[in-house]
Amino acid sequence: MLILDIVLGGLILGGMYALVASGLTLQYGVARIMNLAYGEVLVAAAFASYLLVTAAALSPLFGLVFILPAGFLASSLIYRVLLVPLVRRAKTREALEVDSILATFGLLFVVQGLAFVLFGGQYYSYSYLSVPVTIAGSTVPANRLLAFAVAAVLAVGIYAALMRTRTGTAIRAVAVDPASARLVGIDVQRVAGFAFALGGGLCAAGGVLVSMFLTFNAAMGVVFTMKALVVVIMGGVGNLMGALVAGLLLGLVETSVARLVDPGLTLAATFGLFLLVLLVKPTGLFGRAGR
Amino acid sequence: MLEVSGLSVSYGLHRALEDVSLGVGAAEIVVILGANGAGKTTLLKAVANTVPAEPGRCVVLGGRDVSELPAHLLVEEGLALVPEGRGIFGELTVRENLLLGAYPKRARAGEAATLERVLALFPRLSERLGQTARTMSGGEQQMVAIGRALMSNPTVLLLDEPSLGLSPLMSGELFAALGRVRETGIGVLLVEQNARRSLAIADRAYLIETGRIVGEGPAARLRDDPAVRRAYLGEAAPGAALPSHA
Ligand SMILES: Nc1ncnc2c1ncn2[C@@H]1O[C@H](COP(=O)(O)OP(=O)(O)OP(=O)(O)O)[C@@H](O)[C@H]1O
Ligand SMILES: [Mg+2]
Repeated sequence: MLILDIVLGGLILGGMYALVASGLTLQYGVARIMNLAYGEVLVAAAFASYLLVTAAALSPLFGLVFILPAGFLASSLIYRVLLVPLVRRAKTREALEVDSILATFGLLFVVQGLAFVLFGGQYYSYSYLSVPVTIAGSTVPANRLLAFAVAAVLAVGIYAALMRTRTGTAIRAVAVDPASARLVGIDVQRVAGFAFALGGGLCAAGGVLVSMFLTFNAAMGVVFTMKALVVVIMGGVGNLMGALVAGLLLGLVETSVARLVDPGLTLAATFGLFLLVLLVKPTGLFGRAGR
Repeated sequence: MLEVSGLSVSYGLHRALEDVSLGVGAAEIVVILGANGAGKTTLLKAVANTVPAEPGRCVVLGGRDVSELPAHLLVEEGLALVPEGRGIFGELTVRENLLLGAYPKRARAGEAATLERVLALFPRLSERLGQTARTMSGGEQQMVAIGRALMSNPTVLLLDEPSLGLSPLMSGELFAALGRVRETGIGVLLVEQNARRSLAIADRAYLIETGRIVGEGPAARLRDDPAVRRAYLGEAAPGAALPSHA
């Protein structure tokens, strides 16, 4: 059934967008770092997953247990070494945004260069759970369903943590108003660093999940950064719920256009939706930060 | 409770605060009066360390030298600032705003009890806990801001023009609440344009002009001082059409 095919495919694709964008919205919306190397971190995680599966014969889900924390730690290190000096000298959030674009642009080339040296330019993939599953007459590979399920669990978990815990509320407070956040005793730089690291962890998780069913190569990071940024801005910068909804929406729209019109038009559909959302709601679907 | 001395602040070449010293005791309301641009906001910001002060200052809170502490650690020491323009988290709910007030470790254990006390102080907030703070009226937002500051269980509360933009009725309510805050033992340092109301409630007052303290004394005495009445209470000088003061 075509409709069900589109809905299933769209949700799975959108689930990946939503997860990947939620990491970027934490980095951009809370830490105010526009991380141009975001997609490279995702690709690095995909390669790490590839190595674990092919060389060590581990399941990628098991790899997730290592790669997600590794993404967190690596991002935390990047924040401390590369970005804290920029945070210290930035007079305004806007200045930090510009500085961080330049710094992470450099980082992009370092990570991408390393990936090219180690893996060359060719495409990689591995086979994991590529058995078809039939849902109400529609067939989907099991690996995609699993990736969607894991993404959903992570997204719901991180949303609940942001809404329900003290640290989560502090993260949202920093996203909304860092000057006021310090007046309630929040160490803004520490919370921003934590949010940046958390975003890196989610990004790495996204890389592992995507590697379960997509072919990827060392040059693909930029595509993920761009898509994630589109979703983040559509949802409202710093707004987790916005990133999740906008991610799912983009997945559904892209899949519909690919299936009903022409696969060559998906990128046009992406930017068509992007423009439409921004024309109607310039601050994104859910406005600025907060929820 | 709070002792400040030798506090100076410059914005570039402009000297906004010059060697200011002042003190606030426990259960005392101290008001700072001064014209627009006199440096009142700068003074509160410098005490809370959200604007860099010049070296040589000394800020002692509860007997501890806290001059070098960054703003977020001062909150941990018991200093809470309600800034000019309130500084609430507009996108968050009233409840989230209040609970964020209890973010400092000093406030966490007593969080539930403090929340109850704050809601008793500002009963209107209890019906509004789920409301997005930005959608509240100005007066209600000011209550959220003060409530949030009280949630940190402060020993000294700094307030920058809390009655700005409030109706006379609402300001009356607000000043009454400040009186009750004092009864709990908190020291209040209040910056106000509304000299009449603030002198009526305050214990002591400082007068500030172009960054310097030019007068101080018990509020009751300043209320009757002819120069103060001319400058801050809008009374015409005898024989002069325009108020003028040195
Ligand atoms: N960030 C800044 N940069 C440069 N000058 C500043 C800055 N903040 C304040 N000033 C100047 O310092 C002086 C004192 O300002 P401040 O805001 O402390 O006054 P105020 O007494 O609070 O006035 P008001 O009653 O209008 O709030 C003013 O001349 C003001 O122009
Ligand atoms: Mg002021």
